[in-house]
Amino acid sequence: MTQAIEFQAKNTEEAIQLACSELHVSTDEMEIEIIEPGSAGIFGLVGGKKAKIRVKLIQKTSETHHADYGLAIAKETLEKILELIPMEDTTVKADIAGGRAVLTIEGDSSGLLIGRKGKTLDAIQFIVNRIANKNLEKRIHVVIDSENYRQRRRDSLIQTSLKMGDKAKKIGRPVTTNLLNPHDRRIVHLALREDEELNTKSIGKDGTLKKVIITPRRFNDQRPSRI
Amino acid sequence: MKELIAYIAKALVDKPEEVGVTEIEGEQTSVIELKVAKEDLGKVIGKQGRTARAMRTILSAASTKINKRSVLEILE
Repeated sequence: MTQAIEFQAKNTEEAIQLACSELHVSTDEMEIEIIEPGSAGIFGLVGGKKAKIRVKLIQKTSETHHADYGLAIAKETLEKILELIPMEDTTVKADIAGGRAVLTIEGDSSGLLIGRKGKTLDAIQFIVNRIANKNLEKRIHVVIDSENYRQRRRDSLIQTSLKMGDKAKKIGRPVTTNLLNPHDRRIVHLALREDEELNTKSIGKDGTLKKVIITPRRFNDQRPSRI
Repeated sequence: MKELIAYIAKALVDKPEEVGVTEIEGEQTSVIELKVAKEDLGKVIGKQGRTARAMRTILSAASTKINKRSVLEILE
């Protein structure tokens, strides 16, 4: 069944509950889209707006069952963490995309959950991965996003990489990025992979944060490169 | 703050019943002390302290929201 059904209630939580009882399914068996978050109005009297959600049932097969289960655990963990921070008015949308559990936080307009350079979002993602995979036989990879941060970060990293690549070619010397996590480094390497005039290499001792050194291919200076 | 750390720690360890969290509240800074079973210590600290660092990052984001500072101490 792929038809979407709409529900209305005082707030989104109530609307979701209503959907669950009407359709006889749990929240992880449906895809919920919030159309109107709803507001209480002044003292719950004046100007109150009803919350409206759209629900789509997810059809389960035995192959996807494991991933669904992992996704449900991850979603529940994230919701609990958000509740305890506390982040009011945020909701979590869960999806499986490209073999990964993608959890999207909606409603944090302040960017508090993202943090400087995505530090907070990465920390939450790390903890949720840890907790979700503790009880699972097969590992699942959980990605957490808010305010489309992952895509924005990716775009800006690619732009920076291309700019740094041009600079390396122009000055004929290696150029080094800031400290980046493995995921971000991968984006840099892939952005410059096609460029035959450049080589990229990760440098750094231990830890997950390393720099990427972008070297022009014609560069054969024997002096130790500046880091 | 205390509940947040307690929830995360309990979900990470093998012996959740041995997780203890105390909060020492100061005017601006709170100290949150986390105690876990000896064999679970590695689970809350993580490889190169990654798990502990992630918990501290989440904690500081949560504290920022209420204009406070919180410090997480893991007791041995």
